[in-house]
Amino acid sequence: MNFEELFWAIQVLVGLGLLVTAVAAIRLKNLVSAVIAMAVFSLILSLEFYVLQAPDVAIAEAGVGAGLTTAMYLLAIKNTTDEEVVE
Amino acid sequence: MTVDGMFMWAMILLLFSAMLTLIRLLAGPTIPDRAVALDSMTTTTAGAMVLYGVITRQAVFIDVALVYAVLSYIATLYIARYLVKKRVGIAYEGDAP
Repeated sequence: MNFEELFWAIQVLVGLGLLVTAVAAIRLKNLVSAVIAMAVFSLILSLEFYVLQAPDVAIAEAGVGAGLTTAMYLLAIKNTTDEEVVE
Repeated sequence: MTVDGMFMWAMILLLFSAMLTLIRLLAGPTIPDRAVALDSMTTTTAGAMVLYGVITRQAVFIDVALVYAVLSYIATLYIARYLVKKRVGIAYEGDAP
């Protein structure tokens, strides 16, 4: 296996993972599950930045995605119900 | 097989196992299942990041895995605190619920 094949395989896996987790973050009715799906989306997006030779952007995305937005969304959901209200 | 080829196969297998934990995250019936799947997937992906840094021989890439490991710990900690506060998955104490 040379580097081109590795790059190709990583791109396919990252693309599929991004698609699946984005659809899951939208479709899940439980809000905490949706927040967890969005944390995984941010993780895979950070991996994509990393593979595309931008480690500083990957560090920023990791800080915002894993630390800040997960904590903020959970602090907000703590004051509401954790199920999505269907009108 | 060269050493680099071995590292590349190891990275592909790590990413594939991350995809397997993704299945548990999508199908998990309870929230603690999903939280554990998130933690496991983050650890596996950090290992894959370290292997990519070894393959490309750039020491800057190791720092990203380091930062991600620390921050994902904080995210898992917040989810666990939320689950304890909402008493998800805690057995009833005493007789009646």
